[in-house]
Amino acid sequence: MSSLTFSPRVPVIDANICVGNHNTGPSPCQTPTELLAEMDIFGVQRAVIYHAQGEHISPTDGNTMLANWLDKDGRLIPQWAVMPVEVSIKQIEDLYAQGKASSVRLHNTHGNLPFRPWGFDNLLSFLSEVEIPLWIPLVDVDLNDLAITLNSYPTIQTVLIGAHYTHNLAVRNLLLANSNTVLELSRYEPIGAVEDLVDEFGAERFIYGSWYPRYAMGPILFYLHHTRISEEDLALICGGNTERLLGLHRRDND
Amino acid sequence: MIDGTKVIDFHGHVGRWERYGMTEVDNPEIMLSAMDAVGIDVACLFHIFHPDGTTGNDLTAKFVAQNPDRFVGFAYVSPTMPDRMIQELERAIDKLGFPAIKLYPPYTPWPFNEEPWHPIYEFAEERGLSIIFHTDHFKNNRPRYFEELAPQYPHVNFVSGHSGNVPEARAEAIAAAQKYPNVYLETCSTYRTPGVIEELVEKGGADRVLYGSDMPLMDPRPQIGKIITAQISLEAKRMALGGNAARLLKL
Repeated sequence: MSSLTFSPRVPVIDANICVGNHNTGPSPCQTPTELLAEMDIFGVQRAVIYHAQGEHISPTDGNTMLANWLDKDGRLIPQWAVMPVEVSIKQIEDLYAQGKASSVRLHNTHGNLPFRPWGFDNLLSFLSEVEIPLWIPLVDVDLNDLAITLNSYPTIQTVLIGAHYTHNLAVRNLLLANSNTVLELSRYEPIGAVEDLVDEFGAERFIYGSWYPRYAMGPILFYLHHTRISEEDLALICGGNTERLLGLHRRDND
Repeated sequence: MIDGTKVIDFHGHVGRWERYGMTEVDNPEIMLSAMDAVGIDVACLFHIFHPDGTTGNDLTAKFVAQNPDRFVGFAYVSPTMPDRMIQELERAIDKLGFPAIKLYPPYTPWPFNEEPWHPIYEFAEERGLSIIFHTDHFKNNRPRYFEELAPQYPHVNFVSGHSGNVPEARAEAIAAAQKYPNVYLETCSTYRTPGVIEELVEKGGADRVLYGSDMPLMDPRPQIGKIITAQISLEAKRMALGGNAARLLKL
């Protein structure tokens, strides 16, 4: 049962936070210190962060700016934006060589190049080879392209983010079609859906993310703590799975 | 019940949602399971898929009758069938016992301040009823229309469903609530923008905010999580979660 206040019972990693200012408006957090304070309000220990510039304008510039957001305690984990162009892939290759690329994300695949193997082979072949997981926003991708392309690169670990109830018909099929696909839950809230999906696919296929500042950090975290999933599964979804996907145990011990 | 507060969800639906692949959700057991997991005592439900009103209202009554302590039905009518609109409202309120009205302008050709809607407002004015509207930034659904209607029908409580949903329309809803004591702000939305609940409470007033979920399209748990995790006072949470709704519905 709930109370009028909330704090999580398990360690939490928010797998989807945007930093920096969108050109549609400034972020509520202008510094890492402000973001960490916001995370503390909701009991979020660590967060996977990417830069708004990488989403809207330039992945390479956004990634450069993201470096300024990394805190000394390692609570903010960088996620690099990428595009299927040489300069972007080269940047990720360099970061990977330095041991700094634990995940990447791809935006705006509705744009100038369909998310099909013929357009993305250079990038997807590279990610397959080095085993870097790829975050993909569902709002940014044609679902048919997504299904076809994920089938063509079955070893890539993908995280589908921002599923809305209008994606409900597709979500289950996408999870069925590719066993290396994980669903981030920032906006996915048809009634009972999380429990049903965890029953069917196992908790390993789901991760908590807020997509802050698009959405507040607290509501989905609160939701996950008020389902009938076990405490072990809750811990996996709230942080354990993200830790595994990013190899954080391994990196923390390096 | 949450910390002694009776929790009332002001926005829920009866009806099937197969269009989105939700084939099992028109089911009181599924709704009650989610409600019980978080302490929601009562959910207000309406059926908006039949313009005659009667078909949906009967389905709502049947749904509510299975758990009359947990569900409250709201009457639905549409001005696209004006000849039966008031007759159906009388039946739904007087015979089915529904305490409030739901209106859904996106399913009509008219903005909700236009003439075809006014017989409904006159009916509600005579009886001092609450009406919840779907509101957003599209022409038919603008919360700014409350600034015309609220002074014209002072005994009607006008509830802005979703509080306008997006910033531009939310500002209109808040402005109307600031000007008129009979305008209320309901909270459900998949746009869970940080600070929205705080904004509604600070600018509109804690006594005007109503928790709603849009169940079963959306689970009531993340939607109530917006209120519980908001940086507002405990008293404001109590009012939004149930105190204000109990006052409006005389529960």
